[in-house]
Amino acid sequence: MVEAPSTIDIISLLLQVAHITLYILIISAVLGLLLGSFLTMIIVKNIPILKQLTTVLSSFTRSVPIIIQLFIVYYAIPPLLSNFGINVSNLSAVAASIVALTLYHGGYLTEVLRAAYKAVDKGQHEAADSFGYTPIQKFFRIILPQVVPVGLPGWGNALIHLIHDTSLVFALGVADIMGRAELIAAASYGMNQVQVFIIVAVIYIVVTFLSDGLVRLLEKRTKKYKLDSGLNAGGA
Amino acid sequence: MNIEILWQDFLGILPVVPQTIALAVIIFLLSILIGTVMALIQEYNVPILIQIVVLFKLFLRGTPLIVFIFIMYYSLPGIVNFFTNLLSLSYNANNISPMIILIVAVSLTVSSFQAETIRGSFLSVSHGQIEAARSLGYTPFQAFTRIITPQALVEALPEFGSAFLVVMKAISLGFMITVVDIFAQARLIASSNSYYIEAFVVAALMYWGIAVIVVKLTNKFESRLLSRS
Repeated sequence: MVEAPSTIDIISLLLQVAHITLYILIISAVLGLLLGSFLTMIIVKNIPILKQLTTVLSSFTRSVPIIIQLFIVYYAIPPLLSNFGINVSNLSAVAASIVALTLYHGGYLTEVLRAAYKAVDKGQHEAADSFGYTPIQKFFRIILPQVVPVGLPGWGNALIHLIHDTSLVFALGVADIMGRAELIAAASYGMNQVQVFIIVAVIYIVVTFLSDGLVRLLEKRTKKYKLDSGLNAGGA
Repeated sequence: MNIEILWQDFLGILPVVPQTIALAVIIFLLSILIGTVMALIQEYNVPILIQIVVLFKLFLRGTPLIVFIFIMYYSLPGIVNFFTNLLSLSYNANNISPMIILIVAVSLTVSSFQAETIRGSFLSVSHGQIEAARSLGYTPFQAFTRIITPQALVEALPEFGSAFLVVMKAISLGFMITVVDIFAQARLIASSNSYYIEAFVVAALMYWGIAVIVVKLTNKFESRLLSRS
């Protein structure tokens, strides 16, 4: 007779590997934000060729299921790099996951950031220019503070998508929360599968709510940079 | 990358494309149906049901689709058996098809987004339109079907297009519970001839192509509806 593990046991077993999920999540969130900003810059500055490539990448990452993107990166990167003499034939599943999720998150964020950048009124650019700001000063002191509050809700949604999609990396063989959950579900002869996955759901719910909370905090902090539009000028 | 293998993989995956699209259409229509019910519940503030809808939405906001699919996969047969026992029907839900489970799980997930789209598009029809229709002697039902719905549809169409693509992509997780769609077929072919990259690239291009076609179609349909309303 196999004893089914208790709820506490399952939670502790799952939390033992939670750091792998968080590690993949945080690294791809940071790299994805950098990539997204870079790609947005390419689109905004209208750099030929690179701009077309960015559009293709962004369309691809949004049209193709993330599970395929994970598999393509996992299988395609080693042979691709070996053409350039770089040998990564033992690319770890974790590294492949980070690359795939970074591309996905970056492609998604490009749309969000571009819209936020476009939302900054043209007069703001002109005003800064006429005050003699250098382009870098203009960007960091005038434009960026106004882009952030507009882009935050979209960034929050992108983060939620990213968190949900990290649950798929176990398909590549990463031993994260989902991988461990499958093992537990299989080990106890199907006695507590529902229980295991409900606990996994609760863990993910906690993570998404933390991320939502973070975004809301940032929104509150940056609210003062949001200029009143014609619609709510007198109201706020 | 081998062109011949790409072509073989393409021919191998092609037969499951209609099936995948049909599955996506079924889920899409179901999600609109459930989404409308959810939107109505929220709009009319139906007690108890509204709490259930809000709780369910919170649950789905935090739960990855794959986790929800697994929960459904393992719990749905038990739930169905409970009800059939209650009604003393002789139906054994233990051999319920994984396809049905996928349909239920994905429809429920997408319907919570659809509810928002539907609510937003009906709210976007201005009150003046309703007043005008009423003053022309339309009954409330006529006003709803002839004046409000066409305008709300124009508003909702781009969102519906992207919701359909979300469904297409979501079905690709069916391989975890043995439902065969474009991705699952690509995976089967890849493991039979060991050309992994080729199979996944072909599958990716198919999804991409479908996405482009759907966006084109919704744009066309939208401009047609706009010219009529």
